[in-house]
Amino acid sequence: MSFETDVARIEEIAQKLNASDTTLEESITLFEEGMRLSKSLEKILTEAKQKVEIVLSENPEAAEITPFE
Amino acid sequence: MNDQLKGELTVSELTHLIKQTLEEGFYGLRVTGEISNFRPSSTGHWFFTLKDSSCAISAVMFKGATWKVDFSPKEGDKVTVIGSLDVYGARGTYQIKCDSMEKSGAGDILALLEKRKQRYAELGYFDPKHKKPIPKQLHTVGVVSSPTGAALRDILNILQRRAPSLSVLVLPATVQGDSAAQSVAKRIKQANDLLLCDILIVGRGGGSIEDLLPFSEDVVIQAIYDSEIPIISAVGHEIDFALSDFAADLRAPTPSAAAELVSQGFLDTLQQIQSLRAALVKEMAYRLTLASQRAKQWGLDSLQRSVLSTIEKREYVLANAGNNLQLELKQRLATASGRYEIAKRELQALNPLAILARGYTVVTDERGALVKSAKHSNVGQILHLRFIDGQRKVSVEE
Repeated sequence: MSFETDVARIEEIAQKLNASDTTLEESITLFEEGMRLSKSLEKILTEAKQKVEIVLSENPEAAEITPFE
Repeated sequence: MNDQLKGELTVSELTHLIKQTLEEGFYGLRVTGEISNFRPSSTGHWFFTLKDSSCAISAVMFKGATWKVDFSPKEGDKVTVIGSLDVYGARGTYQIKCDSMEKSGAGDILALLEKRKQRYAELGYFDPKHKKPIPKQLHTVGVVSSPTGAALRDILNILQRRAPSLSVLVLPATVQGDSAAQSVAKRIKQANDLLLCDILIVGRGGGSIEDLLPFSEDVVIQAIYDSEIPIISAVGHEIDFALSDFAADLRAPTPSAAAELVSQGFLDTLQQIQSLRAALVKEMAYRLTLASQRAKQWGLDSLQRSVLSTIEKREYVLANAGNNLQLELKQRLATASGRYEIAKRELQALNPLAILARGYTVVTDERGALVKSAKHSNVGQILHLRFIDGQRKVSVEE
């Protein structure tokens, strides 16, 4: 579910697609999964709205965090 | 020269001699004084007077040199300039033409920084083996800087553009003045104590060498050295430096450059995903081409054709066979029925009853023997006549 495992999964799919023992039917399923994953990852990377917060006090015990500006 | 001075001189000749003497004899001067009567011109040159307790000298700094000065001089500033003498013949005045200017004592500061740098280097604080790698996959980047400074604004702009999914946590710090070093160090420590982020950018925008000093203080160096979170030092402009640059895991020439370094991993990942997708598409297209070629070889069309042609062949044979069978049957039937008719006719022809039907009779004697000739019967003899529909007993009369 994390970003890193998703990227790793796409890499794995690309390898499997390349493998000669993958049947056409399997490859179509893999291809669809890979396209879906890569598109959603790209969306996360490019369309997110930047989150900026600020830590108010210098207290080393606790951080009072609020949105910045 | 002496010969020239003995003769009669025009003002120009004298001025030329003075100019030559002063300009060729007084260059690469390092002069310390107090700025007075500072008059920046609208064209960007600076005119002022350098003075000390008893003397004064006119000074000029042209536009081409002023941009290198990292502070705005004002009345009473004690500065050290490097320059040469310049004679202005039209007025018969001389002045010092400044190539560079620094606040007096900057040399002392640099020397002090150099000494401190040596000390920490010897202690191993700047050792490459202490440098932590900058993680590629980041979630939150902490920024220890002034919340109102240009540095933070630049960082936010660049991150927004290049890595909008990255969260930014501002740890506001005083970056100038006596409390700055403590403030910066505390924020670095707080980020570590509370594990607030994956990476820290510690820095500020450009300023004078004194302005940047907090980032070279012991507390800051120690805090950076102790940090578990990787730190990028981003202090001032490209040409500036602070000891935080050496203690940090990575030095960025400017705060903007730090933001670019931090977001590089995101651009790489994006590129990786895009090229992976291109590979998927290419591989799939190849497989489909392969499959469709195979389908053409063994595919529906040709399969149908081959099945049909097999069926057609069989049908032909079948149809042929059927036809033959029928024909033969018919022929046989025809032959048989022909023969039957003939046989029937033969039979009928041979049937004595049929002959009787035509009106003939069969004559037998009393013993039942055929009487084929009149000679074989006598008068008075009893004969039997056999008709088609019965018998009669007759007696021969003549």
